[in-house]
Amino acid sequence: MSFPIAQLLANSLIIGSIYALVAVGFSLIYSTNRFVHLAHGATVVAAGYALYSTFTLLHLPFILACILTIALSSVIGFLMFKAIYEPLQKRKSSTVIMLIASIGLLTLIENLILLFFGADVKTIGLLEVRQGINIAGAIITPLQIVLVLTSLTLLTVFYLFMKKTTLGRNLRAVADHKELASIMGLNPTRLMAISFIIGSALAGIAGILIALEQNLDPSMGTDLMIKGFSGAIVGGIYSVPGSILGSYLVGTAENVGTWFLPSGYKNAITFTLLFLFLLLRPKGIFGVDKGVRE
Amino acid sequence: MIQTYLIHLFILIGIYIILTLSLNLTIGYSGLLNLGHVALFGIGAYTSTLLVMNGLPFLLSFLTAGILAAISGALLYGLTRKLKGDYLALATLGFSFVIYSIMLNWIDLTRGPLGIPGIPKPLIFGLTIQSTGVYLFFTFIITLISIGILTLITRSTFGRLLQAARDDEIGLRVLGKNTYALRYKSMAIAGFFAGIAGSIYAHYISYIDPSSFSLTNLIFLLTAVIVGGLASVRGSIIAPFILILIPEALRFIDMPSSILGPLRQIIYCLILLVILLYRPRGICGRIDLQ
Repeated sequence: MSFPIAQLLANSLIIGSIYALVAVGFSLIYSTNRFVHLAHGATVVAAGYALYSTFTLLHLPFILACILTIALSSVIGFLMFKAIYEPLQKRKSSTVIMLIASIGLLTLIENLILLFFGADVKTIGLLEVRQGINIAGAIITPLQIVLVLTSLTLLTVFYLFMKKTTLGRNLRAVADHKELASIMGLNPTRLMAISFIIGSALAGIAGILIALEQNLDPSMGTDLMIKGFSGAIVGGIYSVPGSILGSYLVGTAENVGTWFLPSGYKNAITFTLLFLFLLLRPKGIFGVDKGVRE
Repeated sequence: MIQTYLIHLFILIGIYIILTLSLNLTIGYSGLLNLGHVALFGIGAYTSTLLVMNGLPFLLSFLTAGILAAISGALLYGLTRKLKGDYLALATLGFSFVIYSIMLNWIDLTRGPLGIPGIPKPLIFGLTIQSTGVYLFFTFIITLISIGILTLITRSTFGRLLQAARDDEIGLRVLGKNTYALRYKSMAIAGFFAGIAGSIYAHYISYIDPSSFSLTNLIFLLTAVIVGGLASVRGSIIAPFILILIPEALRFIDMPSSILGPLRQIIYCLILLVILLYRPRGICGRIDLQ
């Protein structure tokens, strides 16, 4: 079989769109808070299961289920910040402590989901699986087209929000220089909490999209987290367009890579890419150095 | 019955003391947040298993497991030595995932997710360790030797230099010490002990599959190091006892294993978070995580 370039590109675009939503949320939280929030992946999975509970189990209308899911994701993010991260930050814990705490949170949430929903995979079943459409040699289902368009729209909205609105500007101010922002009358802690709320809402949307596209299982959070932060770091963790570009790059690398290697090596491919960037260009593609990072 | 059960627990505690203590050498004493330790443990387990099953004597395989894990540890440091803080943590975490992927996908070598069953019991000087009682004795001896060696290392000039490099790297370089070389050695030593712990584990459980060397186990090791306290030998010996024995209480409540597994993990995560929040130095830690 010849190298199916169109199909691989289409698959990269689809999966990259989901990774990009995870990555920008992660990047927003990272740049305002300056620590690695690995439990972000758990928020995505929790959102998937929230959609499963509200839509598939409780038979709520789809739109209502989505709104509830996104709200719940924000609440989860906010609670993680208030209950764990904020007290740790108040004690001036190092970024390494925060990272360990976030691994703890990630495993905690994954296991809570495992406890309540069991290890078997869940399907949402919104649409029956339909025949894909052939676009320039690539087979794409209508759902996947909707998914890519939704993601691209949201990413654009988020980019404009960060660039044009006052809240977006304030968030960027805290990301740039926390002390200076607080001298100028901004409240960094409040803005950090807001970044958790917005970032987790994006994770919630990513969770909805992935739940529609794939089966849900409790351990997928770690996987998504790896893709999310790799995308963000590869592209430039402080930059929204960078994180988006990085995520598509990660999506492409794993799709092209698994054409040559068994598909189980997906994470290994992503990590190799991440590793190369950490060593050769730690700032990422769109990298800007924003102050000293410990 | 209760006796075999206790023997089982104590063998596990022995293995985890070696793992926790060696991880503490890198995290606590050297100040490197190394999240790749669980991969080194896995490398040891697979090396020893594959060598013994291909006819090599146990002791030789046991040592090779340690040496290969030591080389991997040094290699990991070689690759990541320029990174600091959370980037170092992410890169070493990546190492764990890459090794895990290889164990899972290199089917010809590791049989992938099916794992390797029927690992023979160790044959030492013509005697096979058949009963678990004798295995406990064997584990006990190895654990004691490991504790002894690691304690000596931490108290030696080398150990003090490691700690000095952790506290003031530039200062130590000014004094003409090669901090990279110190850390290479520290990662190699930690790798060696992780490797032999892997060997003891594999030949005791007699079945290994990649899931034993996943993130789950890493959380346990991290929790153990932090609960015990950084840069504390005593803490790293006490913590595995506490962490292995506490969830065992759950076993006496009648519960299906599908609930027991996640519940155990939840307990570890909660302990980890509570310690980080309220007692970041652990039971007898002497330094804060930087």
